Formats: sequence, structure tokens, C-alpha cells
Amino acid sequence: MSQIFRGEERRQLPTVPVEPSRKEGDGGGPGQPDVKRPDTRDLLKRMQRIDPDSARKYRQRSGQ
Amino acid sequence: MNRLIGIETEYGIVVEGLGTNDWINESIQVVQSCPVPSVGGWNYRGEDPRKDMRGFTVNQLSTNPDDAQFDSPGAPTRSRSEERSDRVLVNGARFYNDHGHPEYATPECRSLRDLVAHDKAGERVVLAAAQKHAEKSGRNVSIYKNNTDFHGASYGTHEGYLMQREVPTDTLIQSLLPFFATRQIYAGAGKVGTENESADKHVPYQISQRADFFMVEASVDTLHNRPLVNTRDEPHATPRKYRRLHVICGDANMSEYATALKVGTTSLVIRLLEAGLRPPIRLTNPIQAVKQVSRDITLKKQLECTARPAMTAIEIQWLYQQEAVKQFKGTNEETDWVLQEWESVLTALETDIPSLEDRLDWVAKYQLLNEFREAEGLKWSDAYMQSLDLAYHDVDPEQSLYYGLEQAGSMRRLVTEGRIQAAMSCPPTDTRAALRGLFVERFPKAVQSIGWNGVSFQHNGEHYLFDMNPLVEENVSVLNVEMTGAETLEAAIALIQQNPKPIE
Repeated sequence: MSQIFRGEERRQLPTVPVEPSRKEGDGGGPGQPDVKRPDTRDLLKRMQRIDPDSARKYRQRSGQ
Repeated sequence: MNRLIGIETEYGIVVEGLGTNDWINESIQVVQSCPVPSVGGWNYRGEDPRKDMRGFTVNQLSTNPDDAQFDSPGAPTRSRSEERSDRVLVNGARFYNDHGHPEYATPECRSLRDLVAHDKAGERVVLAAAQKHAEKSGRNVSIYKNNTDFHGASYGTHEGYLMQREVPTDTLIQSLLPFFATRQIYAGAGKVGTENESADKHVPYQISQRADFFMVEASVDTLHNRPLVNTRDEPHATPRKYRRLHVICGDANMSEYATALKVGTTSLVIRLLEAGLRPPIRLTNPIQAVKQVSRDITLKKQLECTARPAMTAIEIQWLYQQEAVKQFKGTNEETDWVLQEWESVLTALETDIPSLEDRLDWVAKYQLLNEFREAEGLKWSDAYMQSLDLAYHDVDPEQSLYYGLEQAGSMRRLVTEGRIQAAMSCPPTDTRAALRGLFVERFPKAVQSIGWNGVSFQHNGEHYLFDMNPLVEENVSVLNVEMTGAETLEAAIALIQQNPKPIE
């Protein structure tokens, strides 16, 4: 016989997001490098170079 | 994840100076420019996309009538194999033209880290092929890893999960509908605007690229009238033991983290169902729900449920997460990573959505585009905003907005670039993909065709079919290691014949 999840009794949520422990690269489980606020100046320049009409001209065949 | 998992991505294509009616030919040209060692000829043994896991086979699959406008009268007719132009790569992947899209299917993987590396390797292979085609043709070629053209055409990013056949089909469908309708809150790639006639035209930004395109709860179709749960029955393994859950409702993720979390959580939900557990929830209207969730970036709206109070998408995800913790915590390192990150993300979605801009595509894209929109005085409805959305998914690191974020150090990485480069030519060592890759690398002239579940080849005038249907468990690693020592086809045949019924 199938068991059913007991759904309603979810435990009390923490109010602060869980801080991931830092891991880098390929060792152990999937790693999580430090995240710093990026310097987005180059990125903004890249955005300004984009043809504003590129999506309007973008047409594809339907896929799966 | 202790099961075979894979991702198939249909890429968007633009070639300078050409139009949509050229995409089939251009997609073929890109595939034929594949720079990675490969062989041609796909083996379709056991494949029939019309076969439905509910126990019937449809006469034909639905197609999108709008595509007829792109079929040029008098265009050269091609055979199926010419149009597909299949390449089987040395890393065990499949690369081919699918309906005018270069499609890259990763080799079967067993770990999330391998899958992320191979999914990213796919981006690099398709980009390299496109660049090679551009050099030959003298035209710029752009490749996009997304799922919409913003004009009503969608193309897929599908996941495949090998699972136990014994889970009843109706149970599978009903148990997955609430999960699939809501997992987009961390797996969505984000989209500016909305599509399709029934869509609300005043949606500035939504969570999912694909939500606008789902019309029915369950069906074998994929090209038109798309279902939330695809019931195609192609196990690519021993049919009486296994089914392959073919998930078509996902978005193409640029974020490595989002890919891993999407596949990791889905695999754990399948594991709950294999253990005989069932979620205590049914959505009143799953198709309405998937669109409702996608169009609510506050994640506050509640979804109507049958025989219980309405719940938010986050609350529904907690149901699955909590049960998975209860059943599987401590199983292995990878499972614990998924459980911990699932909890971390759901908590952050409840308390601080912007904090997820370093992990989730839909949040990263929203933050980036919104910052630009405010700085430039644009409206979400300006055409420029969809162009920026498209540029997020460009796979060229020098053009892509996603890769701009990654280069700025603002996206979490799960694998190194070295590992991605290695995955372009090396299959996973713990799945049968290693055997497929070995035939491509060492015996390409003998190969007649290769599929997910077998290799057809010739030797000394004899025809052989190496049946890889049984080789889906972890112990295939033993054969993989032994086969690396097979310098000749005779030696390979001898090793294969030591396995039960491998050659017909």
C-alpha cells in the first residue's frame, strides 16, 4: 500500500537563510566559491552594444 | 544520483543574412562542422516517440501548423538520416539537427557534477561547431541556449531519468504534476513578456521560458499541445524493468547551480515515488497553475488544490523537500548537497529573493535587466528588454550576458572550466556512455550505427549488435575499465562476450 507524505506538519522555517559552507572547484560535493559584488561596468557596456531589435528579428521553428 | 540522467538541449540559431526557412539547412551545416571526433549513424532500435507509457501508440504526433510558413516550396527533400545528420561523439554524446535546431544530448551521467560538466561541454561543442561553420560560410552564426523566440515558437530542453518501471503510470503523472508546476521557482530561466493567444499581454517578466506553452496535463506530444508530463515510453533500457522519465517542462539553464538543483530535486522526487510514497496534494488545475506560478515573481499567490486549502508554490515544494529529507538524508554526499541546497533556496525564496541572483537564472536575469532598465529609462515592454533576455542565453562567452555575469564573478560555479573542457572529449567513466565513446575513439570504421542502448558494427564480414540495454547499473564501471585495455576489436568482442547476451 502506498504511503502518503504527511504534508501539513512542515517544521518551523528558519528566519535567516542557511549560509552555505565554502567549497571550491572539484573536491567533494559541488563547490560554492565566494560571491562578491561584481564589477558590472564591462557588462553594462556589453548590454549597450546589443541590437535593441535583435529579439524582434529572432524567429525560430518550433521544436520539442 | 545513482540513476542514469541526461539533458538534451535544442539550441536557437541565427545566421547573418539568412532567415527562418534556412534554419534546417544551417543547423545541419553546424552539426556537420562538429570539431569533436565522432561517427555518423544513429541506431533507433527501441525508439518510437509515438509510444505512450499509458499503454497505447498514437498514429501520429501533433505538429505546430505555424511552421508550415517556413517550409520553402521546391526545397530539396532529404532522407531522415540526411536531415538529422546524426553525430555520435567520442564523449558518448549525440549531436544532430532536430527541426531546425542543433540539438546536443549529453551522455548518460550518474552524478550531478558530471551532468553539469557535460551540459556545459555541450554549449562549448555547439559553439565551436557554429564558429567553424561561420569560418566556412563567411557569415556570423549565433547560438542561443533558451526556449523561446518571443513570437510563439518554443524548443525544448529535456531531462531524462532512468527509473523503475513498477511505479504505476497514473501515480507517476498525478504525483509529478504539483512538483513540475512549481519547481520553476528555482529552475526557471526567466522571460521578458509572454506569448500565445491566451496569454495575459501585461506580464512584464515571468519566471519560466516554457510555462506559456503547456496545454495539457499528460500526453505523448512534444511539438504542439505540449503536456506538463510527457508520457513517451522509450526506456533505452530493459523495458520490463525500467522506464525513462522524459521531462519536457524544464527551461534551459545557463546557471550550473540551477541545472544541478533542477535535476537533483527531480531525481529525489522520483526516488520517493519508487519507494512507494505519494504526495498529499493535487492541484485543481495544473496547467493554469504552471502559468500562474510563472507570472508571479513575488511567489505569494496561492494555487487551488483539491480537497485541501490553497498553497503557494514554495509551500508545495516544501512538501516534497521535507519528505525527501526524512527518507534520504545521509544517503550520500550528493544527496545531502541537494537536500541542503533545496532547503537553502526555498528559505531564501521566502525571505530574500534577490539574494539568489548568484544561483538562479530567473533572479540573476531579472536583477541584471531591471538595473539596466532603470538606468536607461526603459519599460519592460520595450523591445530592447527581450533583446537583452535573448543575449543572456548567447553561448558565446564574449557576447553572452550570463557569461558576463560569470566573468564578473557573480555566478556560483559547480565545476571548473578544465573539467568542462575534458567533458568535450571524455565520457563519464561510470556509465555505458564510456563504451559508446570507446567505439567512436578506437573502432570508428567498424561502427555502422550507435544508439543509447547499443552499438551495431562489423568485423571480418560479420555483423554484430552490442546490446547495452542491460548495462545501466553502476557495475558497468568494471566493464568500462576492462575495455580501456582492448586495443583491438577482437579483444573488445572477447570482453563483451563475457557479459550475458551482449552480442546478437
